[in-house]
Amino acid sequence: MSADASDLSLVRRVQRGDKGAFDALVLKYQHKLVKLVMRYVRNPAEAEDIAQEAFIKAYRALPQFRGDSAFYTWLYRIAINTAKNAVVSRDRSPIDYDLDRSSDESYELQGRMKDSETPEGLVLTDEIRSTVNAAIDALPEDLRTAIVLRELEGLSYEEIAAAMDCPVGTVRSRIFRAREAIDRRLREVFEGGLGRAEELG
Amino acid sequence: MNEELDSQLSAMFDDELPPAECELLARRLSRDEALKARWGRYAVIGAVLRAERGVRLNAALAGRVNVAISAEPALGATAVPARASAPRVRWWQPLAGGALAASVAAGAILFMRAQAPSAGAPLAAQSLPSAVVTPVVNVTSGPLRNTSYVTPPLPAARPMLVPSTQLANYVVAHSMVSSPVARHNLLSAFITSEPAAEAGQAADHVARAAP
Repeated sequence: MSADASDLSLVRRVQRGDKGAFDALVLKYQHKLVKLVMRYVRNPAEAEDIAQEAFIKAYRALPQFRGDSAFYTWLYRIAINTAKNAVVSRDRSPIDYDLDRSSDESYELQGRMKDSETPEGLVLTDEIRSTVNAAIDALPEDLRTAIVLRELEGLSYEEIAAAMDCPVGTVRSRIFRAREAIDRRLREVFEGGLGRAEELG
Repeated sequence: MNEELDSQLSAMFDDELPPAECELLARRLSRDEALKARWGRYAVIGAVLRAERGVRLNAALAGRVNVAISAEPALGATAVPARASAPRVRWWQPLAGGALAASVAAGAILFMRAQAPSAGAPLAAQSLPSAVVTPVVNVTSGPLRNTSYVTPPLPAARPMLVPSTQLANYVVAHSMVSSPVARHNLLSAFITSEPAAEAGQAADHVARAAP
C-alpha cells in the first residue's frame, strides 16, 4: 500500500481544480491542525483562526506541492509557520491590559471567554465527546481494540493484524464496523445538535 | 448507503485503500455531500479517541475554509504557470531529447554516406570475397578447359577505394596514349570529381583493366 495515497488522490483533484476535494482534506485534518496550533496560542478560537489561515495558504500553495512529502507533513509546516507569525505579530501589537497574559490560566480564560460567545458550541462538543465515548464503550471488544489501535496508537492495518492475530481484511472490516456503530449515534447528535447550533449561531 | 462504499471510505480515511480505488473514491467524495459528512464524522471519532482536549469538535472551521476557498480561483488554471517554474522534467523534454538524438543519428548517417562510395558499389564490394576466381569456359577449343583469371583483392577496410597516388599514376599513364585535349579533360575530371564517385569509377576501371 502506498503511503499517503488517499491524501494524494485528493490533492491531485484539487490541483486539477476540484475544490470539493479540498473540503475532504480540511475535514480530515482540521482537528489535528487546531490541536497543533494550540501549542502556540492555547486559545481555541484563535487556534481555529490560525488553522483556517493555514488551510487557505495551503490551498494557494498546492500547485507547488509535488508529493515529495506526505500532505499532512507539508500542511503541518505551513500551520507551524502561520502560528509562529501570528504569535510574533500578536506580541508586537499593543498589550491588552484587560487580560493578564503572564499565566497559562489567563490564556485558558481568554479562550473560554471567546467560547462563551457560543455556549451551545461548548455543550455540543461535550455531547459529541460523551456520545463517542459511550459508543466506544458499547463496542464488542475486538472492534474496540481495532479502532483504538488505529486511532490512538496510529498502527497500520498490517500492524494491527499482527497484534490481533487476524488477517488484514478482518482488521479493515472491524475498524469499519466500529466506525459505523459510533457514527450511527454520532449522526443523531450532529443532525439534531448542529442544526440547533447553526440556528443560534 | 452502500456498505462496500462505506468500507472503502473507512479504509481510505486510514490510508489503507489501494491507490486506484483511492482515485475513484476521491472523485466521489469530492462531490457526494453525504459521503463527505460521514468522512468528517470519522475525523471527529478519531479526535475524541485521541482525547484532543480544547479542540471544538463542532467547529465551523471546515465551513469557513470552504467559504474562503470558494472565493479563490480554481487551481486548474493557476497550476500550470506555477509548475512551469518548478525545476522538473516537463512533458515535452523527453520528446525533444528523442528528436535531438534522431537528428544526431540522421546527421551521422548522412556524413557516413557522404564518406562512402556510391550506393550500390559498397554493398557489391563487401559481398565479394577478397579474391574472386571467375571460371571462363572456352567454347572454341576442343576439350572443355577451365581457365580463370584473378581479380585483384580489394582492401578490407574501404574496399572500393584505390589509393589516390596509384589512381593518379594510372590516369596519367592512361592519358599518355590519348590526345592532349582528352588528357586535359581526363585530368580535370579526375581532380574535380567527387571523391566517392572518383573512387568508385576508378575502381571499376581498374577492375576492368586488369589483365
